[in-house]
Amino acid sequence: MLPTSLAEAVEALGTSPAAVPVAGGTDLMEAVNAGRLRPAALLGLGRITELRGWRYEDGGTAVLGAGLTLARMDRPDFAALIPALADAARTAGPPQTRNVGTLGGNIATAAPTGDTLPVLTALEAQVTLAGVGGTRDVPVSHLLTGLDPIRPGELLTWVRVPLLHAPQVFLKATGRSGPARATASVALVLDPARRGVRCAVGAVAPVPLRPLEAEAWVAGCIDWSARGEEGATPIDPAAAAAFGEYVATACVPDGYGADAASGLPPQGPTAAALALRRTVAVLARRALGRALK
Amino acid sequence: MTAEGIAQMGTEPTMHPAQPGDGRPTASYTLRVNGFERPVTDAWIGESLLHVLRERLGLAGAKNGCEQGECGACSVQVDGQLVAGCLVPAALAADSEIATVEGLSAGGAVSDVQQALADSGAVQCGYCTPGMAMAVHDLLQRNHRPSEMEARQALCGNLCRCTGYRSALAAVQTVADQRAAAVLEAEAAAAADEASAPSADTVAPAGQEQVAAQPEPPAPEPAGAQVLDPPVYQDAWSGTATAGEVPVFEADGDWIAAEEALPTADGGVGTVPAQGYPGYDPASYAQGTGYDAASGYEPTPAHGTAVPPFDATPAQGTPYEPTPAHGTATAPYDTTPAQGTPYEPTPAHGIPHQGGSYPAAPPYAAGPYAQAPYPGTAYDPLGYQGTPAHGVPAPATPFDGTVYETAPGTPEAGTPAHGLLLPEDDRA
Repeated sequence: MLPTSLAEAVEALGTSPAAVPVAGGTDLMEAVNAGRLRPAALLGLGRITELRGWRYEDGGTAVLGAGLTLARMDRPDFAALIPALADAARTAGPPQTRNVGTLGGNIATAAPTGDTLPVLTALEAQVTLAGVGGTRDVPVSHLLTGLDPIRPGELLTWVRVPLLHAPQVFLKATGRSGPARATASVALVLDPARRGVRCAVGAVAPVPLRPLEAEAWVAGCIDWSARGEEGATPIDPAAAAAFGEYVATACVPDGYGADAASGLPPQGPTAAALALRRTVAVLARRALGRALK
Repeated sequence: MTAEGIAQMGTEPTMHPAQPGDGRPTASYTLRVNGFERPVTDAWIGESLLHVLRERLGLAGAKNGCEQGECGACSVQVDGQLVAGCLVPAALAADSEIATVEGLSAGGAVSDVQQALADSGAVQCGYCTPGMAMAVHDLLQRNHRPSEMEARQALCGNLCRCTGYRSALAAVQTVADQRAAAVLEAEAAAAADEASAPSADTVAPAGQEQVAAQPEPPAPEPAGAQVLDPPVYQDAWSGTATAGEVPVFEADGDWIAAEEALPTADGGVGTVPAQGYPGYDPASYAQGTGYDAASGYEPTPAHGTAVPPFDATPAQGTPYEPTPAHGTATAPYDTTPAQGTPYEPTPAHGIPHQGGSYPAAPPYAAGPYAQAPYPGTAYDPLGYQGTPAHGVPAPATPFDGTVYETAPGTPEAGTPAHGLLLPEDDRA
């Protein structure tokens, strides 16, 4: 089935809820090729042109179509709009994957290493789910944590992202210099209107994590009036380093990577937890430094 | 092949039609591959484009490397976009324009991209080459003068375990240079035409009417209406018909033959035309003398110089004595070698030391092993930084998990995933 409009697609999914909606198929076909998934039917979303762009809404919100490809998000016009999302899309994979992989597919797959997920979490984006009965808006964090999952027959259509007009940074640590899955990723956005910092750490847990206390603490350490001035130091380097440690300790538990079946009592953080904490701490510190530069 | 022929191929067991009743939903659709309509009947909907191209349509150019989109060997273009063929459901690529590597060599001649890849040595085992050719082709379609970094980013999804990518990057530059030179030539030719054109206009004022009276050049037919039957080639080895695939050497109408054997003086069968080799003794290669079954096999080294028969090694029944690769037979190891001196191991730096045994290794004065209690106890590797992938050793860092600080003046310790060193702005 290859519907050409959103209404057609929603109706087709309503009549056959077992069909798997396919946009880029990069995650889906990997599972199909490996034999983990045997779809009863496919619902191709590639022809729905209205979902492949974005529009603006009142209140400083960009409404991104779920069919927006990662390659499209890498282009300069989009990067000027939401730079962190463009950075995440750029590092998401090789060109062969980014040419077809979509924003909506990244959210719907909800892989732990999904690169756009920490950015959307930090931006506190909302997704629109369209069903036959109507549409509903769900915060992306509720969707990812399973608090409010996609119901059968619902299609992820739009992603609402607030336009903050402030520096945003996405940093990702990988095992090699080419495109690879993240070992840890950090998205950090500044919200100067509310004098807030929002940070999300991806790939260390099944869902992106928000270190809320560290965010609130570091927002108080920033000299917001000095930000953007030439030669100013909006934050003490020691505070930035401490922010990194704070984020890392909040997001990586002591027992990370420990073998639960061994039954040994926990004796401090594991080596894996220490290594990952150091990675996350460096990423968070650098992200803050780049955002405040 | 006619349409019936293709339909008949669909019923052959090699085409793996899904059996009715096995619960797998199937679909029939038409793919447009390299400008040809290719019907696919009763294919499971979960089949990837790569599988359909290779197994149902006989286009084996795209290779199946990983089926996960990691290796890029299956790269094809769908609607002008480079994609991994293994990650595209073929049923959803119906009515899309699919371009495979077979389409690059249209008309039987290799494209400039393929020629450059071959010339620059980017083809060793060749498994990644179709995907690499598609990636280079796609890059140069979008970017006529790619920089080194742009070329690296465009090829970053194509893994090659043989060549180390240098030659592929060189091929990109070669093709870009060739195409730029061709454009310059065409412009120069057009300028020359223009210089001569005004005279023709002034000579014949009625020329405009003539031009108007001339029939319009035939508009290029749409590719779909042009040919519906893809060209069919017979595979010389397996005898299977391959539709739509153009062998590289089809222009000659034949396989590329190996070097023809030069006619020799006596022209006998089994004569080796090896006169150019130093030390060649024609007598030893005369008819029937090269191999004497009665005397057993005498190994001849690969460089073709006949060695004297082994004294100590008769043909059969005696223990095997290994012959070193240089082909010179040595005496057994337990005796004194030919030069008459006992064997002493020479260190790698080539200067034999005087004593009979090695002196004790000096203790490590510097480096990550300095503090290690080197001989005897197990070394605790926690403090060892390792060398990062970019080859610049990281400065020494305490391994207690504190903040990792890059020493000023040294390159960034962590290179971001896209390979670009970002500005040095993070020592906040």
